[in-house]
Amino acid sequence: MEPTQAAAAPTHLLSVLVWLPAIAGIFILFLPRQSPGMLRAVALGVGLFEFGKSLQLLIGSDYARGFRFVENVEWIPSMGIRYHLGIDGLSLWLVVLTTFLTPLVLYVSFGSIKARQKEYIAAMLLLQSAMIGAFVALDLFLFYVFWELMLVPMYLIIGVFGGPNRVYAAVKFFIYTFAGSIFMLVAIVYMVVTFKELDPSHRYSFDYQDLMRLGFPRWTEVALFVAFAVSFAIKVPMFPLHTWLPDAHTEAPTGGSMILAAVMLKLGTYGFMRFAMPFFPGASHMVGPTIAGLACAGILYGAAVAWRQKDFKKLVAYSSVSHLGFVMLGIIARTPQATTGAVLQSINHGISTGALFLLVGVIYDRRHTRDLGEFGGLAKVMPKYATFFILVTMSSIGLPFTNGFVGEFLVITGTFTADLLRIPYHVERSSGPSFVGMGPLYASLAALGVLFGAIYMLEAVQKVFWGPLNNPKNRKLKDLNERELIALIPLAILILWIGLRPQDFTKSIEPDVQGWIDQYEQKRVAVTRLGAQRPWMLSESDVRLPPRREPRAEAR
Amino acid sequence: MKDLLLYLLPIVILFIGGFTLMLVDAFQKEEGGLAVPTAMLHFAAAAAALALWPYAGNAADLARAQVAFNGWLAFDRTTLFLDITIALGGGLTTLLAGSYLAEHKLERGEFYTLITFASAGCMMLAGATDLIMLFIGLETLSLGVYALTGFRRTSARSQEGALKYFLLGSFAAALLLYGSALLYGMTGHTDLAGIRDALGRAVEMPAIAGQEGAAQFVAVQQTVRDRVTILAMVLVVAGLAFKVGSVPFHMWTPDAYEGAPTPATAYMAVTVKAAAFGAMLRVLIGVFGDTSGPASLAGGWPGLLVWLAVLSMLIGNLVALAQSSVKRMLAYSSIAHGGYILAAFVVAPRAESLAGGGGSVGQSAAAAVLFYLLAYTVSNVGAFGALILAGSRGKEAVSYEDLAGLGKRHPAVALALSFFVLSLAGMPPTVGFFAKYNVIRSAIEAGYPWLALAVVINSAIGVYYYLRVMVKMYMHDPQPGAVRAEPMSSPGISLTLIATAGMVLALGMMPQRFYGYALEAVKLAAAPIAAAPADAPPANAN
Repeated sequence: MEPTQAAAAPTHLLSVLVWLPAIAGIFILFLPRQSPGMLRAVALGVGLFEFGKSLQLLIGSDYARGFRFVENVEWIPSMGIRYHLGIDGLSLWLVVLTTFLTPLVLYVSFGSIKARQKEYIAAMLLLQSAMIGAFVALDLFLFYVFWELMLVPMYLIIGVFGGPNRVYAAVKFFIYTFAGSIFMLVAIVYMVVTFKELDPSHRYSFDYQDLMRLGFPRWTEVALFVAFAVSFAIKVPMFPLHTWLPDAHTEAPTGGSMILAAVMLKLGTYGFMRFAMPFFPGASHMVGPTIAGLACAGILYGAAVAWRQKDFKKLVAYSSVSHLGFVMLGIIARTPQATTGAVLQSINHGISTGALFLLVGVIYDRRHTRDLGEFGGLAKVMPKYATFFILVTMSSIGLPFTNGFVGEFLVITGTFTADLLRIPYHVERSSGPSFVGMGPLYASLAALGVLFGAIYMLEAVQKVFWGPLNNPKNRKLKDLNERELIALIPLAILILWIGLRPQDFTKSIEPDVQGWIDQYEQKRVAVTRLGAQRPWMLSESDVRLPPRREPRAEAR
Repeated sequence: MKDLLLYLLPIVILFIGGFTLMLVDAFQKEEGGLAVPTAMLHFAAAAAALALWPYAGNAADLARAQVAFNGWLAFDRTTLFLDITIALGGGLTTLLAGSYLAEHKLERGEFYTLITFASAGCMMLAGATDLIMLFIGLETLSLGVYALTGFRRTSARSQEGALKYFLLGSFAAALLLYGSALLYGMTGHTDLAGIRDALGRAVEMPAIAGQEGAAQFVAVQQTVRDRVTILAMVLVVAGLAFKVGSVPFHMWTPDAYEGAPTPATAYMAVTVKAAAFGAMLRVLIGVFGDTSGPASLAGGWPGLLVWLAVLSMLIGNLVALAQSSVKRMLAYSSIAHGGYILAAFVVAPRAESLAGGGGSVGQSAAAAVLFYLLAYTVSNVGAFGALILAGSRGKEAVSYEDLAGLGKRHPAVALALSFFVLSLAGMPPTVGFFAKYNVIRSAIEAGYPWLALAVVINSAIGVYYYLRVMVKMYMHDPQPGAVRAEPMSSPGISLTLIATAGMVLALGMMPQRFYGYALEAVKLAAAPIAAAPADAPPANAN
């Protein structure tokens, strides 16, 4: 096939994407503070260049499968640590989303962040590097480095540029995430040490493909899975571990909230897909129904709490908890539709929630309050703003012809047919009709969440935009300025594009999702068949990417 | 004879240099100007150690393992690695002192003489293969460091810290001496190899052999000797644990660290620690490293050290949380770091590592100890250096409040301090992360996953107080009416910060090379002393 041929050629595209922002960020630290114009030009230039470069990733990605743009060289040989990057359908759009949003966020922030702009820009660019790095790293050590590296710039963005309670929120964010990820570190090291013991040549390896080959006894596997899952679940955040998110979102500056919601949370769901589940298919299958239950609880709980919020930003923050529940549900359901929907929905959430935070920031900049009760009848004074807001709301609640509909629909229908039953670990999955599972139950709960979402979002829209213009402070509000329009228009275009032609996006997601599911099932069968007492090495054929199946008719 | 002195080159350089400094100081008209020569001496010592590296023994070539100076000092790569760490720490802290002392009107030449002799003492301690040498090294370094602690003569805190350190230190030295005396009494040897061999032999059947009750007599003798061995081991470990400042021997640490002038604090935190851990490595693995003895691997000291490690981490971190002074926080955090090092230590001498050859687990753990010491040295010196710059002329920045708003006042200093603090907290891609990763890996490899969990949970606690430094610097404004710090003229400190920052980053991103050195260094630690008997001539006739 021609695209794979092209991808096989040596390329440093991913390295450029990962390192360029960091280098630019450090460079900007040395530029004079007195010329903000130059700072902005450099930052924006780098951001746009990155975006342009990242579009190259799309070349040859349609219907392709497996890792592309791979770079794999030694980094610390004695520890088996490699510089191994690669991208596939699970991460492709997340990287593009990151490069798309970063210049946008920077551009918006130039309007609202006045003091210490230099540090802000540097932190943003460093954050971009770390996030892209975490999305494309295929070496666990490298991944962990990027994963932790992300914390520091985000911590500074919240803590230095945030609202009145920013220090509390920043520290809570940092400690929560750090505390979660250290258990993952121990689990990673445990896997590496196990690999060394089992490997015939007794070498260490942090490589993704190598560690994929490890099989563990049942409870070891569960413990390792939980260590990974807790770390990722905090990031997502899943229902009982979400408490840092409303604080962080409320206090972060608009740009920080946008990046946090749009990209950083996706690292949690991505981590589940890339690492936690393929590494431990037996355990994740066993725990799957629980996770699905928590995801549904998060959908309903997030929606219910969002409904009762008075602070606009908190409302959006809780709606994130709700929306990410959909993503988690789609991932854990592991049907082609549901998981494709989950990947697409994580992009959608990035676009629509990013836009929502941007829009909330717009009125916050004008009124310095986010209290819903302060507003009313804004549609009369800010017609353009109202138009965009309603479009984004439609996307957020999943109205047809917007992106939200596609994602949520795929997740719910996919979950309906999923076989999410608590079946004993060692029992083979039944090959009969797939209605034996509890999928319909979870799907119904999730669908209820869609309804809730419509209620709280529309109620907020009603409070803010319709009704009489009672508050005199709102009379003289200015409509969107040029800067805000420029930032919103691309987001609006994407909302409609994904809503109307989702196949442009799913065609590069679906094959890899199918491969992911097949690989998972194949390894799960291999892992569960053996009632092992000690860790062992699976054969190469058990973890290899299975041959491509004909796309099923109903996956359309 | 020439060879013997050549092997001791790092120590010799420091001693001769120390005497020269004393003379120069006595004859020069004005105080000052000695910092750079002193730092150069340290760096020369480090260079000498580096130059000797190829000539020191390694595992593949045991015959060339050397014992120098009539069997009192080891000449092997473990020693050389520690020498490099010590000299690096000493040299960098001297550079810090050069600017600090002048700015705080403390510039007196004896500081440099003391620090040079203390470094020589550290190297003696790290390389000692004889209990007497061990004690001499310990005292040489201690006397220097006591005086350095009390160097701010006008400050009551400084005096208090010095006195506490001195009294408790003397007590600890007595413990160590008592343990050594017991060992000597039981074995008739003061050299570590001799003690090890004597302890390894069963109690000899005395002249009464064959008579009635002879068996019981021997059994009783054996029991007594076992008990006394355990006691001696505990006493020696306690004496060294005091220098490391691990719980429960840590009481002096915060006061001494807070009272001492900041460069001396940095010196105490890194250099003394490196030397004491080196000595501990040698004594515990050299003497009590076999699997059979009562105080040894199987049931002896690892069990003791586990508790020291866990308690040090936990208490160090928890108490550090509650501090309002940054210097005290760093003191308590150094206790916690001692705990992390001890955690690697516990698993270092696994049985297979002593068998030679394939003992990779124990080796990599011992290498983790050495690498951690190096990593801690560069990060901590940097942190203290940045802390000095955060203060103003004549007044140290000690409390968190002093740091408020530093991000605006001195962006470069704040950036540097954040960087080092993140390294101490173990954030990638700094060297602190790689060092901690090595500890975790060693613990898991040796089958102590819960110890690894203890390390990471404690790291998470540690992050909180390290973050507080950043919170204060970047997210708080100074209190109204607070004294605005005047920037100090400080070429030495800036140089040190740049050098340490470079090392923190380079060692963190490219640890391959230095971790390789650490691995090479401990290849020999498995059997450091047995290779050449004390009284045999050095076998380096080549």
